[in-house]
Amino acid sequence: MLKELINKIADPLYSFPITTFLFYLMMRYYRIFGSKKFGKWALILSVPVIIWFLADPNFILIILFPDNVPIAILLVMVAFFTWFSLHKAAENDVRIEQGLGPIEATPENREKVWSWPNLVYTELFAIIACTAFLVVWAIIFKAPLEEPANPTWAPNPAKAPWYFLGLQEMLVYFDPWMAGVVLPGLVVAGLIAIPYIDTNPKGNGYYCFQDRKWAIISFLYGWLVLWVYLIIVGVFFRGPNWTFYGPFEYWSLYKIVPEYNINLSEYLWIKGLGVAMPKNLILRESLGIILTILYVGVIPVWAQKATKMGRQFYKDLGSIRYYIFMFLFVTMMSLPIKMVLRWLFSLKYIVALPEWELNL
Amino acid sequence: MSESNKEPGMAYSMPKLHKIMAILSFIFLVTTLWVFLDDYMRPWKAYQVEALKIKRRHLDEQIKAAAKEIDSTKLAELNAKLKKVEEIVQSRKSDIESAEKDLKVIVTKFKDQTITNGILNGQVGAINFKYETSLSHKDPKAVTDKAFNKLQELKARFVKGKDSLKALQAEEKVIVTKITEYKKEVTRTEKEIKEITNKLNLLELAKKTTTIDPVFALRNLPFIDFLDPTIKIHQIVVNNVTDDRYFRHVPKVDRCITCHTFIDQPGYEKEVNPHKTHPRIDQMVGLESPHPMKQVGCTSCHGGEGHRVHDFRSAAHMPDTDKQKAEWITKYNWHEPHKIQQPMLTKSQSEASCVKCHSGVELIPGATVLNEGRMAIEKYGCNGCHKIDGWEHKRKTGPSLLKIAGKVDKEWFKSWVWEPKAFNKHTKMPAFFMQSNNSKPEFAKLNMAEVNAIAEYVWDKSKPYEANEKYTGGNAEKGKELISQVGCMGCHGVDGLEDNSKKVKAYAGPWLSGLGSKVKPDWLVSWLKKPWHYQEDTIMPSMRLSNQEANDIAAYLLGLRNVQFEDLKFAKLNLADQDRVLLDYYTAFDTVASAKEKLAKMDSREKTLELGKRSIGKYGCYSCHNVEGFDGLAGIGPELTKVGSKPAGQFGFGIHHDIPHRRDAWITAHLQRPAMWDDGIDKVFKDLNKMPNFYMSETEAKKITVALLGQVSDVIPLSGVKRLTASETMYHDGMKVVNKYGCTGCHQVDGLRGDVLNMYMDDINQGPPRLVGQGHRVQTDWFYNFLGNVQPIRPWLQIRMPSFNLSTEEKNRIVGGFQHGSKQPTFTEPAESVKWIPGEREETIKLWNALNCVSCHSGGFTNDVALAPNLHLASKRLRPTWIKKWLTNPQAILPGTSMPSFWGDDGKTPIETGYFGGDADKQVEALTKYVIELGQK
Repeated sequence: MLKELINKIADPLYSFPITTFLFYLMMRYYRIFGSKKFGKWALILSVPVIIWFLADPNFILIILFPDNVPIAILLVMVAFFTWFSLHKAAENDVRIEQGLGPIEATPENREKVWSWPNLVYTELFAIIACTAFLVVWAIIFKAPLEEPANPTWAPNPAKAPWYFLGLQEMLVYFDPWMAGVVLPGLVVAGLIAIPYIDTNPKGNGYYCFQDRKWAIISFLYGWLVLWVYLIIVGVFFRGPNWTFYGPFEYWSLYKIVPEYNINLSEYLWIKGLGVAMPKNLILRESLGIILTILYVGVIPVWAQKATKMGRQFYKDLGSIRYYIFMFLFVTMMSLPIKMVLRWLFSLKYIVALPEWELNL
Repeated sequence: MSESNKEPGMAYSMPKLHKIMAILSFIFLVTTLWVFLDDYMRPWKAYQVEALKIKRRHLDEQIKAAAKEIDSTKLAELNAKLKKVEEIVQSRKSDIESAEKDLKVIVTKFKDQTITNGILNGQVGAINFKYETSLSHKDPKAVTDKAFNKLQELKARFVKGKDSLKALQAEEKVIVTKITEYKKEVTRTEKEIKEITNKLNLLELAKKTTTIDPVFALRNLPFIDFLDPTIKIHQIVVNNVTDDRYFRHVPKVDRCITCHTFIDQPGYEKEVNPHKTHPRIDQMVGLESPHPMKQVGCTSCHGGEGHRVHDFRSAAHMPDTDKQKAEWITKYNWHEPHKIQQPMLTKSQSEASCVKCHSGVELIPGATVLNEGRMAIEKYGCNGCHKIDGWEHKRKTGPSLLKIAGKVDKEWFKSWVWEPKAFNKHTKMPAFFMQSNNSKPEFAKLNMAEVNAIAEYVWDKSKPYEANEKYTGGNAEKGKELISQVGCMGCHGVDGLEDNSKKVKAYAGPWLSGLGSKVKPDWLVSWLKKPWHYQEDTIMPSMRLSNQEANDIAAYLLGLRNVQFEDLKFAKLNLADQDRVLLDYYTAFDTVASAKEKLAKMDSREKTLELGKRSIGKYGCYSCHNVEGFDGLAGIGPELTKVGSKPAGQFGFGIHHDIPHRRDAWITAHLQRPAMWDDGIDKVFKDLNKMPNFYMSETEAKKITVALLGQVSDVIPLSGVKRLTASETMYHDGMKVVNKYGCTGCHQVDGLRGDVLNMYMDDINQGPPRLVGQGHRVQTDWFYNFLGNVQPIRPWLQIRMPSFNLSTEEKNRIVGGFQHGSKQPTFTEPAESVKWIPGEREETIKLWNALNCVSCHSGGFTNDVALAPNLHLASKRLRPTWIKKWLTNPQAILPGTSMPSFWGDDGKTPIETGYFGGDADKQVEALTKYVIELGQK
């Protein structure tokens, strides 16, 4: 029963809003989340849960798949480092509120030491330890040497390397040129642009949350929810034919899910107005084009004019930085928006122009 | 961090850091060593060391045997002799020494001259080149008399040097001969000793290569074992067979011999795997066999990943039995190979691969399981519905329905189609209805409508037939005897003769059961006398029965009744069901409303005939039976030509998780109960699995599976496949006709089949003659005439050679096939009137009498019962060369024949030594002449 429930809510349809909500809670109550007590109890409670998960024959099949083992380890580390940063931030925020300044600024932490050997030597330790670890790992878990590639018999599911599975998951919602070219390109460009956009001098050299609240929230949302979460889905929950499988579900080759997606233009003309689709492509897709222009062009302006936070950002960043930031932000948010639209309305494309290979 | 012993500017204490460094370094060292060790430890290395020990053990045994073979007294004698002759030679010591001294001088001079000549040769070449180039470039500075003279001088010196070399060689030869002469006694004795001990010495040399000594250890030491290891991966690169690497075909690389160390070497049959000799070394792998390892490889037949030697599993070994599987799991941690398109065939399946290279052949000698599988395919007519390349020439398995109304009753027909096994439990006709997927009442009633409609259609199209004989009653007991004697059992199983039927396992014709409840008596007699009166293309022959015999047989067969079946009444055609099924067809491309409209316009009869035709098409009845209106239509089943390469994922296993998701497992399960894939699946009537149930046993299903597994898509280069020569093609085309008419049901042809012979195990000479080298035995024109007009040759046989309704082309094919199979010309020179040397004929007749040929070959000589063919007819029938071969050693041709071997097992030692000086060849020659003469009188 419980397993069935978990299988059900693991579906992105439910798990994505849940994850987003949990993210909101984490950000809202970061001080509770970042407390040692929370960390301790989370750890204590997670152990039996993990054991219970591992006891399931289907789950263990997925988790012990050679490619997936390191991903599970990485996920644990993501969880730990997220908690650790918020823990440090919470500590410092309390101190800053009390007027004490961050821990990193205390006199004993401001003392300077030689980079050799303190830094370089310890880096060498890390290098040796990592190499030894990887060597042992490679010996114990042999790289699977599979049959020669056969274009007529691709593996099912055909999965990208784990770090690209977030992108592959995006393919479910976007046209390949969006999911494979534009969005990843903007991710890279956006990450490069961060230091130029974020001119907030606070938070340098110490952990904090309050001083850089929006920067942290928007980054962590993109990182945890739109990247790590999608990788989890891609790695553990997408099976043959890229169909969704719950963590306790057997990956049957023959599972079928009902999916019939409809374009916005079809909604407008056929379902809404009950008339034939116009021949003129622009006219046909006019609603989607208008909405897209509104979304990208009008929202940033409106936010700057009408919202307090927008005005504040505009003031802090200046117009060019503000608009670049907003462009990147709305683009990032297009992913969850598109996902929600897909789930709620089976929406295929907002702008569907396969004639021009341009689908949004 | 706040430790007291750290220095200023330091976050950590240095000694502590060093300690960490030491520990990490140690760990790193260990992991590095581990890398080498892990790389070094390969399972196949252990096998090779094991093989080395096994080889040593075998060599030890061989050495022991070889030592035993040596005659020790003779060896001692020779050694003593050696000592003696050594003394003699010793007495010539001074001569030898002086000769050897001379030889040394000559050899030195020879070497010196060789060097001088070599230098001169170089100089002549260089200067010659320079001079000739200058000449061609017209360089006056270089083309001078001086240069020319120098060249001439060098050339002269070189010629002189060569001459002195020859002189020295001659001198050397003289001295060497002298020395040999001085030492000759010792050399000779030593040679004699070597002749005796040579084998032993060679074996001991071989043994040395198996020694595990420091050099062996060094060569196979980790890290330096890349230089010149003795333990290494061995591979065969097979250019004749390629692997499909999707973008190109590459020669197959098989490394199986890395572990299967002695697979191609006889003598290791008793070792355990992987060190065993190939069990069919005469056929496969062996150097002398038709499939030598270097040309064919291993995975070409066995499948699997031949280039992978990582461990036992990586080669995709497949266990043959559950027991073996359990054993492998404990021994090798075996599990089913993933992502491997062509895992190894299990041991019992390996014959499947013969089909890859041997096409155009129906039965492959030696491939027993495969042949049985292919025979089962033919028996059940799988190839009727499922196209298989190379099977196009096969006839339809079932009887023609073109005149069915003249043979059986319509009511009977319906009940029969509904459940054939209820009438005849041995029938090959499969069951389409009352299966696990269509026995629900709502489906069954639709099926009944279909069966009714099929019967109506078939009867509507059936042409009138009047039997041309009348049943006048007969003696059933006699009939039964006749059936078991004249040869019916070569094609038919018969109720009441179960013992023999089971021995023969005939399948060319139906198992005869319940005929009294099935056919009309007149029809049966007519059929027995002249089958093609009813069906032109039948393979049923006439046994040349007399009217009495035919009536006796009919009496027996009509006495076989299935009373229970006779009482069956098939449900009347339900018009609503008929409409319902027709609607399915019409709505395939049409709306329900217009389909109904269409139906409304048809009258009831029209509808029935339409449904009948549609149903025959749906169930593919026409694939096995001739039905009017279905000429030239392809079968309804999926093609099986490449089914052996179909990915396992493309087989629908339905809800059956207990069946391993493998190609072979699916096929075997499918054959036993095809409807099983519909289990637990909600399907509408028209989508039900239509493959009928043959109620096949698992054994039979497995044999068919083997035959189908070989139907792969692999492209084998022309150099790799068996390409039949024109002659072989003729032979196999002939055999196709032979198989079609069920000749092999009675005759064993070149060792294959001869099913009915199983009835004559007590005395094989009472059975139909085995045909070995038949094309050599009989003359072409005789054979052709015989096929069209059978004349009994062996009067003592009760079994009869039937008269088949063969076309001219078929007769030609049979004759040509046999003739090419024996590599004989069509015609040989006719035996002219026999010419005798004076006295030869008289001596021949004496020999003839001494051997008492007439005691068996009495025909034309005495009135005794003939036990062998009439020799007066032989010269028209037999080829003279064959008569000789036969006389020389009949047992070599037909083991167990009653013809005595008058010239011993080797054909060279005559029993009667008093004639022709005891010369076997002359005796045989003379008798052959005599037999030919008999026919010419």
